[in-house]
Amino acid sequence: MPDKSAFSVIPLVAVLLPWFSLVVITASPKKARGLRLWLCALGALATFGVVLSLLPGILDGNTYTIKLASVVEGLEMRLTVDTLGYYFSLILAFLWLLATVYSISYIDHKENRFFVFMALCESFLIGCAFSANMFTYFIFYELMTFGSYPLIIHEETAMARRAGYKYLVYAISAGTVLFFAIVAHYFWGDGQLGFGSYGVLSLEFAGRAALMTVFFTYLAGFGVKAAIMPLHGWVPDAHPAAPSPASALLSGVILKAGAFGIIRVCFNVFGVELMRDLKVHVVMAVLACITIVVASVFALTQDNLKRRLAYSSIGQVSYIILGLSMLSHDGALGGVMHLTHHALMKGCLFLCAGVILVKTGKKNISDMKGIGYKLPITMICFSVCALAMMGTPPSVGFITKWLLGSGSLEAGLPVYVIVLLVSALLNAAYFLPIIYTAFFRWEGDEAEEGEEHHRPKLAFGKEADHEMVVPIVILAALVVIVGIWVTVPGFPYSFVSKVVGIIFP
Amino acid sequence: MGAYRHFPILMITVPLVCAVLLPFLGYLRERWVPRAALVPLSVSTLLGLLLVGKIPAQGYLSYHLGGWEPPFGIEIRVDYIGLFLLLVVCGISLLAMVFSPRYIGKEVSGGRLTAYYVLFLLMSGAMLGFVATGDVFNLFVFMEILALTSYALVAITGNRNAVRAAFKYLLMGAPSSIMVLLAIGLLYSATGSLNMADLSARIAESGYTEVLVVSFILFVIGFGVKAALFPLHMWLPDAHSIAPSPISAMLSGLLVEVSAFALLRLTFSVFTAGNDAIIGGTSEAVSVFAAAAVLYGGIMAIMQKDLKVMIAYSTISHIGYIFLGITSFTKEGLAGAMYHMLDHGLAKACLFLCAGCIIYVKGYRRIEDLKGAWRQMPWTCFAFSVAAISVIGIPPTAGFISKFYLIYGNFTAERWPYALVLLVGAILAAVYCLRVIYYMFFQPDKRGAWEEGGGDAPASMLAPVCLLAAGTLFFGVFSGLIIDSLLKAAAFLL
Repeated sequence: MPDKSAFSVIPLVAVLLPWFSLVVITASPKKARGLRLWLCALGALATFGVVLSLLPGILDGNTYTIKLASVVEGLEMRLTVDTLGYYFSLILAFLWLLATVYSISYIDHKENRFFVFMALCESFLIGCAFSANMFTYFIFYELMTFGSYPLIIHEETAMARRAGYKYLVYAISAGTVLFFAIVAHYFWGDGQLGFGSYGVLSLEFAGRAALMTVFFTYLAGFGVKAAIMPLHGWVPDAHPAAPSPASALLSGVILKAGAFGIIRVCFNVFGVELMRDLKVHVVMAVLACITIVVASVFALTQDNLKRRLAYSSIGQVSYIILGLSMLSHDGALGGVMHLTHHALMKGCLFLCAGVILVKTGKKNISDMKGIGYKLPITMICFSVCALAMMGTPPSVGFITKWLLGSGSLEAGLPVYVIVLLVSALLNAAYFLPIIYTAFFRWEGDEAEEGEEHHRPKLAFGKEADHEMVVPIVILAALVVIVGIWVTVPGFPYSFVSKVVGIIFP
Repeated sequence: MGAYRHFPILMITVPLVCAVLLPFLGYLRERWVPRAALVPLSVSTLLGLLLVGKIPAQGYLSYHLGGWEPPFGIEIRVDYIGLFLLLVVCGISLLAMVFSPRYIGKEVSGGRLTAYYVLFLLMSGAMLGFVATGDVFNLFVFMEILALTSYALVAITGNRNAVRAAFKYLLMGAPSSIMVLLAIGLLYSATGSLNMADLSARIAESGYTEVLVVSFILFVIGFGVKAALFPLHMWLPDAHSIAPSPISAMLSGLLVEVSAFALLRLTFSVFTAGNDAIIGGTSEAVSVFAAAAVLYGGIMAIMQKDLKVMIAYSTISHIGYIFLGITSFTKEGLAGAMYHMLDHGLAKACLFLCAGCIIYVKGYRRIEDLKGAWRQMPWTCFAFSVAAISVIGIPPTAGFISKFYLIYGNFTAERWPYALVLLVGAILAAVYCLRVIYYMFFQPDKRGAWEEGGGDAPASMLAPVCLLAAGTLFFGVFSGLIIDSLLKAAAFLL
């Protein structure tokens, strides 16, 4: 790949643009609620537009860079847009836009605080995606941790507070571990914290034990956000407590920030060769397999819909980790592509759960009989995404599963295929009952044979506001479209194949 | 050599001389005193800023008082690290002084008003002298001015608790001063000199002697009390929490730090760091106590109900940070310790001044009472949060940079347990700081104690608070230049 690195202010603009919402909210009059919130959505749209404007250059293999501040040699705050970072920023800006539009209709109290912190989180996450080194990444990552706290406790119920507290305890401990990892990285990495195409650490500068310490502290630090078991404790509490658009972002993007950190560590800090040398990928693989299976089993037992989805997210994010740990071309491709795939699917599912909650007030799956007739569009989209989660073609979920399966065979470890199949089975076991309850059960369906069945009518066009339905439909459509036209430029494959192609030629 | 040769001595003497003149003004026009007291500190700050970049190539600027050559004459010596700390002292004193008039006007009754400003100026001048002096005896003189003025300032409100706290401070402070004096006496008897540079040469010549070891230990204990190094910290929680808030800010943000700096100076410029036989054992012990301080201060801070006492215990913890950096004897650790003096000074001063704002507006001291405070005092609460985040060491505040270097220094010295202690200290700090932030922003105000639009603190109090908070952010993002020169200066010391 030609190394075309150019100075550009666009990364900085993308990071700062969400702050526009902050200005709008503080400056606009209190009464003009609609105007104010739509302006925030416009801010999210503008951010997405700015990110999108880099697309042609990135596809050409350019990188854009801007230095913000420097501490000393090797420690600087720098934003660099490379293919991998751009890939993450694109999905996050897109999902953010949809969630912001959705929130306009969803959030009914303290919307100023919610929108401000939404926007701040987006800014920090774009900062994460564009970070040129671990130092910058850590700074934005920590900011994002604290920026997302008000989103989780937004409802201010006792449950939300407890969930927020748990989140902070986990996040701060993780931040400390991560901090340790970065100091150790700086120390044993010869004063370099940057990302290299093939990794920057090597056994020349430090011993095996030292490098393994660095790797595992990174894994533990990022693993809390990426919800690798046993570090997942905050996830099942935070998701049901947060408002649905926030849960969608939490699952779709914020968990991914942890996974993205691990991707950076594997690809750009350690490099595949060194990982293979140190055999650290084995530990990653075992943890990921355990997480995938155990989380799915936990998901089976949950009656609260958002809690079930949260456990599902825990399992699904570990697909990424599993794909990385295979150290094979297809495995890495599938794992990294799953970052976007899962964001689309789970984002849609959580937004659907939000519609159900707002329109019917129901949280538990057992109460959702016949809900598919009341909310047909929502539940059809829900079903599409649920089927995709199981890996049914044509959908993004199928692409992930296919690539991961092929990757595990490439790595000569068919055992992973079994894990994937078990996971698909369990996914079916916890998603199909929801679809079944929604469409094939209804109030009074337990009538005796011969009695009249009062099957409700499908209530098209009467469900939720357009602000809520349109994002859901877009996401569900993308789940299918991206799953069919995989190689279209701008879709995940176009970026990830480039990144992975360099690492596994 | 231009006129700036005289700047260091002017920086010290202008506040001291003005302090002596201030009572006359107070006698004539008392209400002019607060504004007049700003002038000398502004002058010092300006002179300090003009000195930046003027330190000669040899690494320090030496000024001989009255033209008498050292080792016999009095020497003022400003090196990179010294100038850095002088600027910190000037800046924070100036902001605390700007903060003072409204607050003190409320807490201190008429007759003592002038006294407050006189003592404040004396304290600032003494601190500057303490940092810049080039000989050990003046170190003692300035330390005594500093100590006496701080006893008086803790007690300035005159109520029972304040007097008791000041007395407790005095009971610990006076013996410590005597120890320092004794240490200086021993040093003089062993070497026959008081000038630091000269002492260093003579000690290098004579090598290890028992007298030197005893002298060093006495220095450590003496300044350890002033710097509130665990277990010599007992006076601090009372004195720092009961003193008027600007004074708390001065004590917590500057006084303990310059005392730690004095020890740093003595260790590196007099007893020379390489001289393991003399300082080796003691510095090991100091490391252990510093680690204990980090944990003890953090745990005690978590247990407090009173906001100012909590901040005071946090100071004890952070003094431990500084000493862990110094005792790592690496350039990264030293640079981290020096940078921590800056960011801890800014952050702690900010926290105490915020507590002062809250006391001024509402009279609340308990953390419990802060529930929902941000609706009435948004600026104060935001500034408090920024400073608290710097205390925890979360990026992009200055606390993060210094913590990075402190831990990195301990890594380089292969002192793993201490690196771990620093991390645990950060978690403890997160617990006690985030609790307050949580109360301020996320807890419902059930009693209705805070009213929206009820008025934040007045602008003259908010301005310094917000500047300090902005400072922690500024020095977090743009730390490059300072860290660079601190690393160079630290390498020079080693």
